[in-house]
Amino acid sequence: MAQTEKKAGLLRRTSSSKKPLKEKVLLMYEDIFTKEDPTKSNPRFWDELFLMKVNLEHLEGKLEALDGDEVVKIRDNINSLFHHCVQALAEEHQIKVVNALQTLCALFRGVHQKNKSATGFDIINMLMGFDKAELRMKELMESLDSLLCGDGSESLKSLCLKLLLCLVTVTDNISQNTILEYVMINSIFEAILQILSDVSSRARHGYDAVVLLALLVNYRKYESVNPYIVKLSIVDDEPTLDGMGRVIHHALAEYNRQYKEKEEENQGGFFSTLTSMVGSMFIADADEKLSVQTNEAILLALYEAVHLNRNFITVLAQSHPEIDIATAPAVPIPASPTTPLGTTPPSLDMMNNPELPLDPNLQTSNLLITFLKYSSIVMQDTKDEHRLNSARLFLIILTCIAEPMRHRKKAVDKSIPSRPLVCAVLDLMVEFIVTHMMKEFPMDLYVRCVQIIHKLICYQKKCRVRIHYTWRELWSALINLLKFLLSNETSLLSKHNIFQLALQVVNLFNMFITYGDTFLPTPSSYDELYYEIIRMHQVFDNLYCMVLRVSANAGPWKEPASKVTQALVNARAIINHFNPKIESYATVNHISQLSEDQVLEVVRTNYDTLTLKLQDGLDQFERYSEQPREAGFFKELVRSISLNVRKNVSLSTMSQDILLKEFSSIS
Amino acid sequence: MGDTELELSPARLEELQKSPSASSTSTTSSLSLPSSPSSGPRPLTSSSPSTSEGLPTSSPPLDVISEGVGELSLVIDTEVAKKACQKVLQKVKFLKADGELSSANSEPVLVNGTAHPSEEEAEPVKNVRRRQKNNSSKQSWLLRLFESKLFDISMAISYLYNSKEPGVQAYIGNRLFSFRNEDVDFYLPQLLNMYIHMDEDVGDAIKPYVVHRCRQSINFSLQCAWLLGAYSSDMHISTQRHSRGTKLRKLILSDELKPSSQRIRREMPQPPPSCPPTLHHSQGMSEHSLSPSKRTHQRSKSDATVSISLSSNLKRTASNPKVETSQDEDLSSSSDSLELEAGTPVRLTPQREFIKSLMGIGKRLATLPTKEQKTQRLISELSLLNHKLPARVWLPTAGFDHHVVRVPHTQAVVLNSKDKAPYLIYVEVLECENFETSSVPVRIPETRIRSTRSVENLPDCGITPDQRASSFSTVPNYDNDDEAWSVDDIGELQVELPEIHTNSCDNISQFSVDSITSQESKEPIFIAAGDIRRRLSEQLAHTPTTFKRDPEDPSAVALKEPWQEKVRRIREGTPYGHLPNWRLLSVIVKCGDDLRQELLAYQVLKQLQIIWEQERVPLWIKPYKILVISSDSGMIEPVVNAVSIHQVKKQSQLSLLDYFRQEHGNYNTEEFLTAQRNFVQSCAGYCLICYLLQVKDRHNGNILLDSEGHIIHIDFGFILSSSPRNLGFETSAFKLTSEFVDVMGGLDGDMFNYYRMLMLQGLIAARKHMEKVIQIVEIMHQGSQLPCFHGSSTIRNLKERFHMNLTEEQLQVLVEQMVDGSMRSITTKLYDGFQYLTNGIM
Repeated sequence: MAQTEKKAGLLRRTSSSKKPLKEKVLLMYEDIFTKEDPTKSNPRFWDELFLMKVNLEHLEGKLEALDGDEVVKIRDNINSLFHHCVQALAEEHQIKVVNALQTLCALFRGVHQKNKSATGFDIINMLMGFDKAELRMKELMESLDSLLCGDGSESLKSLCLKLLLCLVTVTDNISQNTILEYVMINSIFEAILQILSDVSSRARHGYDAVVLLALLVNYRKYESVNPYIVKLSIVDDEPTLDGMGRVIHHALAEYNRQYKEKEEENQGGFFSTLTSMVGSMFIADADEKLSVQTNEAILLALYEAVHLNRNFITVLAQSHPEIDIATAPAVPIPASPTTPLGTTPPSLDMMNNPELPLDPNLQTSNLLITFLKYSSIVMQDTKDEHRLNSARLFLIILTCIAEPMRHRKKAVDKSIPSRPLVCAVLDLMVEFIVTHMMKEFPMDLYVRCVQIIHKLICYQKKCRVRIHYTWRELWSALINLLKFLLSNETSLLSKHNIFQLALQVVNLFNMFITYGDTFLPTPSSYDELYYEIIRMHQVFDNLYCMVLRVSANAGPWKEPASKVTQALVNARAIINHFNPKIESYATVNHISQLSEDQVLEVVRTNYDTLTLKLQDGLDQFERYSEQPREAGFFKELVRSISLNVRKNVSLSTMSQDILLKEFSSIS
Repeated sequence: MGDTELELSPARLEELQKSPSASSTSTTSSLSLPSSPSSGPRPLTSSSPSTSEGLPTSSPPLDVISEGVGELSLVIDTEVAKKACQKVLQKVKFLKADGELSSANSEPVLVNGTAHPSEEEAEPVKNVRRRQKNNSSKQSWLLRLFESKLFDISMAISYLYNSKEPGVQAYIGNRLFSFRNEDVDFYLPQLLNMYIHMDEDVGDAIKPYVVHRCRQSINFSLQCAWLLGAYSSDMHISTQRHSRGTKLRKLILSDELKPSSQRIRREMPQPPPSCPPTLHHSQGMSEHSLSPSKRTHQRSKSDATVSISLSSNLKRTASNPKVETSQDEDLSSSSDSLELEAGTPVRLTPQREFIKSLMGIGKRLATLPTKEQKTQRLISELSLLNHKLPARVWLPTAGFDHHVVRVPHTQAVVLNSKDKAPYLIYVEVLECENFETSSVPVRIPETRIRSTRSVENLPDCGITPDQRASSFSTVPNYDNDDEAWSVDDIGELQVELPEIHTNSCDNISQFSVDSITSQESKEPIFIAAGDIRRRLSEQLAHTPTTFKRDPEDPSAVALKEPWQEKVRRIREGTPYGHLPNWRLLSVIVKCGDDLRQELLAYQVLKQLQIIWEQERVPLWIKPYKILVISSDSGMIEPVVNAVSIHQVKKQSQLSLLDYFRQEHGNYNTEEFLTAQRNFVQSCAGYCLICYLLQVKDRHNGNILLDSEGHIIHIDFGFILSSSPRNLGFETSAFKLTSEFVDVMGGLDGDMFNYYRMLMLQGLIAARKHMEKVIQIVEIMHQGSQLPCFHGSSTIRNLKERFHMNLTEEQLQVLVEQMVDGSMRSITTKLYDGFQYLTNGIM
């Protein structure tokens, strides 16, 4: 108590005579930026320094302004500053800890800013001194770990995370940030997990923790053994995984909510089509754009969780209410929560508020649903680079989810009350196929999209899962895609291998035609498949002509085109088999135009004379692997996220006043 | 005065059995069960805890027992010691009052406390004999009846209700101890309703038994508390607060009724003093019907109760804190903290909280506008509930001891109801020896599903990986999955769907042998499109038909899924599924609905089912268990493998007959005929039920059809004197639509005749045992404001529907008339139309 008073007294003096003392900080900075050891003139220099309010901009600016020679000269003092910062973290005076954290941040930033071209080792040497670096970083990481895991101030924890985010994003390319080697050795993974597993800390710091984890996982992920990858992949603690899911869920849901609000605001305006509305909305609104970018980090976190951790898949389908976790009553937490059922120890935050707020508008959802909603919004417009990235990432995540090894969940999804999620995924794929046939054809996304459908069908075939899905919409979308490829042959062919996509689509049809018995919901759906092919026979005819023509010429497309030719065998067999029968049926019955039922009748009665050819390897697919195909994409993505996080991490937003208030009430 | 003289003729017994009220009233005047203590035999009333005599002021042989008291005070506090002392004094006083017992006789009993069966038995027998001498033959008959093997719980309840004689009531109160718990449990609503609404003597007679059972069982305690609350609710609020029922309910919920055995052991190092005189008496009376072993057992039970009832302040005894905490340690060690924090007793708490959570969910669901929202909300609420499981909680509707470990929340469905939100949940439980004492299972996190079921489980699927591989190698290009699927993936997939794999693992591709051989030579494989189409239809025909999902009717699909299928599916998806004692239960949670009528209907149905079984009439009905929790909430045991006829028709778009053919095969197949017979037997059963109970609101949404062809009526919201909206619809005796007749094979068919014959036989059998049915209803009539008892003639009308006065020939005519009337009745049809317009029920 006496200490607090003393501290408060000191600080009061600080604020009462603001001006000269503020200058004192700057004066003290001046002392550091000399060759002299500042303790020579003032033995209590470091003690005093950390009682002063940090002037981040000034300190950063000073560091940046240094030129090469000066740097070398004052290296000792900077090392000393770093050393004392680390020491101050263990101080009891929280103000000192705060100031030390902020100073460290300024140090990391300033030194990097100054030495963009410098090697990592030079920077380390500059900051900590090469011989001491390992020890200093160990101390730093240990201090941060204990601050994050202790039951100290929440604002301090927040600052620790900000410092870590600042450190992690200080270089554009995270893998070039050599200091992170020490973060690898001195893992704070456990601290991150602890934040995620605890309700109140998750509500306050979950977002930062998840982003930090996603970034750390991406440090030299292809070159070395990243302990964060290893650790993340083996987490199986339910509350922690669930906590991670909730943070991601909340971030995505928040975006969805904002989008919905905007949409409602704009309704009735002159934005007629959804696409144009969304487009203009995001271009016009810088704020909104920002939120898309930050969500890349969340999507990355989701991707890493899904990709690396097998257990995370169960979290995906676990339902949560869409409540704002931040506003949820998370603050007052009894030391030992009551357990109404009295037996099992409380494992989750639910123990604290066993009843959800009674709000009829409260929608419940699960992470996967929210993710799909989010994706459907993002995919509406892929012109913006960030949104294109998001869309791509979204499809990659879906690819991972659709991997058969992940299908545990899908089996659960047969759960009868609500529509299986796989239907929602298929719907989204259909929607994507239909809405992105544009000049700037996102070939890459289309290939992924069709792959996802393929994987889902392979699973269904394998496990005899018959979902009640109206496959017709998918067939029609796929045929339209083929039609689009045909009519834009020349322009597309200059940029893309359209035969690869065409082959995939045709083989999807082959799956339905030759394996339909294993996964279609009803016999009549098989008839409808034939009806759809017959109805759209011109597309298949034209495609056949096209691939025949291309494969006849020598050239790079000869081979892929001839594969499509072979794959079309069954579709052509169907068309050639039934068309004459339908015509003769029309003539016999004197009907000019057959109704759908009549065609279906012809189809049903003429199956037996049709022979189909079984294609090889229809149900084989490439398993998803990040390397090497996606490595480039992720590198760029992480770079973009790093830049964005760096821009948005602000330590100065935390006003000293707030901190003071908080600390004075702690004691 | 040999015993043979007392032999009752069966006819006489039956008479007594049937009309207890008549016999008891006619005999009360001279009955030798007098309440005055002056007469030779010991009065029955002295068993009553409310004996008005004050505590004795004199202390006759205190020196004898003071030793015991001294010992007592070493382990328990003085308050308890004083009480024990008083108790003993009271007993001693009774003994003194009895001139027959010499002090020498009583002394050893008091000192060592051990019961001396021979002495005790001898005494009441003497009493009985002497009393018999003085009594008229009628009295003896009644006594003989009570002692006879024919005297069952149903008769006991009947006498308890009808007899105005406190002695008889008190005797029966004691006799309750000799019946099997399950038998008494069936009449628990009646017992408690009598306790609440009838005069003090009946209440006093019942209370010791109830208290005793509450001590024994948490489940019984809660059932009592719930029923007491529910059946007190019709009282005026001012009287309700101070009523006996409310007091007993409070006592039970205060959780002061702990198991008595331990308490006694602690309070009294020596076994309790000898039984009070009344017990000797009752034992004497029940001597003939009880085996020796049972007798001693009964005595110890009675000891406990009497010692409670004798202590005028039961609360104080039972709440001795020392006794409580020590005794509860093993029961709920993990909940100790809760007890301390909440300050509430912990024995009943987990289960009460569990039920409260379920009801809370129902209340919140009711505020949501659409089914879709309700379903979503339900699922997430339940997923929260899951975090608190496993716990020492159970479903009272289950027939075995268990602990609830998980609620597979995604399987839960909201049921069709306009403004309430009843819902159906499936509940995973682990069967256990005794849910009160067995330890609560440890929580297994959801994510452990994988680790528990991975490659090592492969052999479970019926094929070895080798077999599988070989089956692939015959079709190398076809299903060459080894690359695409890692070993453990295959394992997982197999674990997920073991049956499918065992059925078709060897021909996943479903190829003809020809195509396989041709394939080996690397020739292209050709298949006939017709084969694919055929296989598709065949496979779908083999799998049970499923319903399509309908957001407006989410329960249809869930209910249509065969129970075994569902159990298997859920078992695969749960981390507890590998445990051998894993079971799946289901329950409907009703919030905002009064289930007391449902409970009444259940009891009547159950009674009729027993009667028909006893009389070997092959009528089929399915009483489903009801748990009344309050006057506006409760739980229902769902009928598995059954969907409503409305759902059948809406989903299949078929007539009922065509649906039968779709489900069970064509007319002359064994399956169809079995289903048809089931249909007829259940129709006949429910037609009688509908007639006797006047079940109304019979639309297709309230009639289920199970997978074996039985119909099952549900929703007994309108029975006896109540009818929906009093529109005067549904005047026919029961619902018999032409569609039903079609399934039975038409009006001229054999099955239809069989149906009529079953009805007649069923009615004759029911008539024979009418009293058993009437009594259930009549007792619940007491103090009830339920709509089914509206008006003054409910019971009389019910009795009239049994047509005691008709000959069997006349009954036959009556049945014919009812069937014809229902057939011709357009009101049934009209009512269906009305339902369609208002509720969208087909």
